[in-house]
Amino acid sequence: MNQRGTPLGKVFAYIFIVGACVTALFPIYWTVVTSLRSRVDIFAKPPVLVGGSFTLDNYRQVLADGQFKASLTVTVYVTVLATMIAVIVGALAAYALARRSSFPGRRPFEAWLILVRAMPGIVLAVPLYQVVVAIGLYDNPTAMAVAYAAINLPFAVWLMVSFISGVPLELEEAARVDGANQFTTLRRIVLPIVAPGLAATTIFVALLCWNEFLIPLILADQAGKTLPVYVAGFVTSRTIDYGAMAAAACLSIIPIALVTLLVQRQLVRGLSLGAVKD
Amino acid sequence: MSMSQQDAVLPGGSPGSTVLSRRAKLKSAGYVVPGWLLLASVVLVPLALGVWISFRNGNLLSPTSEFVGLKNYRQLLTSSPFWDAVKITFIITCLSLAIQLPLGFALAVVLNRELGGTRIFRSSLLMPLLLTPVAVGLMWRLMMNIDNGVIDGFLTSFGLPAVDWLGNRTTALISVVLVDSWQNTPFVMLLMLAGLQSLPNGPLEAARVDGATTFQTYRHVILPLLAPVALVVVMIRVIESIKLFDIIYILTSGGPGTATQNLSLLDYRLGFTFLLTSKAAALGVLLTVALIPVYRLWKRATA
Repeated sequence: MNQRGTPLGKVFAYIFIVGACVTALFPIYWTVVTSLRSRVDIFAKPPVLVGGSFTLDNYRQVLADGQFKASLTVTVYVTVLATMIAVIVGALAAYALARRSSFPGRRPFEAWLILVRAMPGIVLAVPLYQVVVAIGLYDNPTAMAVAYAAINLPFAVWLMVSFISGVPLELEEAARVDGANQFTTLRRIVLPIVAPGLAATTIFVALLCWNEFLIPLILADQAGKTLPVYVAGFVTSRTIDYGAMAAAACLSIIPIALVTLLVQRQLVRGLSLGAVKD
Repeated sequence: MSMSQQDAVLPGGSPGSTVLSRRAKLKSAGYVVPGWLLLASVVLVPLALGVWISFRNGNLLSPTSEFVGLKNYRQLLTSSPFWDAVKITFIITCLSLAIQLPLGFALAVVLNRELGGTRIFRSSLLMPLLLTPVAVGLMWRLMMNIDNGVIDGFLTSFGLPAVDWLGNRTTALISVVLVDSWQNTPFVMLLMLAGLQSLPNGPLEAARVDGATTFQTYRHVILPLLAPVALVVVMIRVIESIKLFDIIYILTSGGPGTATQNLSLLDYRLGFTFLLTSKAAALGVLLTVALIPVYRLWKRATA
């Protein structure tokens, strides 16, 4: 759908969209700039928009902090493990949901997925904390990864259902005629075809895991302190070191910036899932 | 795809072979077993325990806790922090929708006109959506603080008074809504854009042939066709607004006082600041039950 527009309308459209882009990007720009400035310039009045001092001191300070390295490591570990669990478990469930309209437990399973997706995280976190402490898994990154995986399971399942539904049934039937059983068909026929979808699901779930804040905030102390919790620590301390805070925030979103630039199309698919049928 | 068609092509799904079909159905159920195990260990069991705790006066770890019936619920429902949080959650949800829906729709309409540079515009606009909410909170704390925030820097350099964005009850609430909108308007835009791009050409052509103005086309053709997408967008944004936690935690921690303490923040404070676990669990149960209509609507809208 493309509309004819008057030249004046076009000018307004440009002004509007450029204004929106500036609004979207300025906070990111300002954080990067702040992270590269000396303390004096950070407190300058009126604010220096471009130029000013340039220093890597804030980054040196954050990178020298042992907790930053520990947090980076644990965030990578939890993200990778949780994404693997969610995608594998999600793909299996999605295969059944996409290919068979009724089987024992289908409806309650779907209902629970919706509940997990819609429920505020804190509602789960309150009793989950009790359970985790009671069985001695507090501050355990592996246990956190399992929790992340469960919380993100609805996304993984729904994305995979949409991809698997697109695979022609005839292909599976042909494989079956050749004597392959159902699991072999899934592994050898369906999964290779939906590989791009699998990749999209993996990236999207990994992004959500990387950003997760509430679970590590509640289920962990030191060993499981992920980057979002570490970065959040900068504002809960009494005096805020704005330069270091900006540097830490920048470091924690570098992977996201890379992913966004490289695989935007797949992310868009994940985000718009469910609202628009394709 | 119709149901019978779907089943017929699967092994054992052929009509008439009931025994085989039952076996095949059990096999399908088997694929969901890992999912059930994951949900059971992280969600089902803890939630069930949450219900149990909510009827007691202590937590799982305190050996002396005893059954108190509906006391926690009664106290919660008659306390002013609870109703304040309900009100704040409601205000945040309404204001967010009022900003994000029209703005997201307008952006989608402009992007859909395919002016030059659309791809760069779209990429730029999507950036906020993908950032870690905690980092988003920090960015805006940086810009909104009263000591050296760049927003107040702008205001004062134009001779306007500085605003204590996060320190004043009203502006703190507005700030939370603005930051949430900064991050999530792109989501509305994205879905509306996908909706616009998948519109059938027929009705639009018909409107053009009939000489409808652009406004009339939007009012009578495009908006009605977009209604299903808009419904899903509204639902997702309502749910996310109710869930909103990270941004508030970083920006204001629910303050000043309790000015931005929504239900999520209240539940967090009850459970982990005041250590009133059973009351926090009761609030969780209330929230879960209150959201039942939303779950149903969700199922219908996405089915």
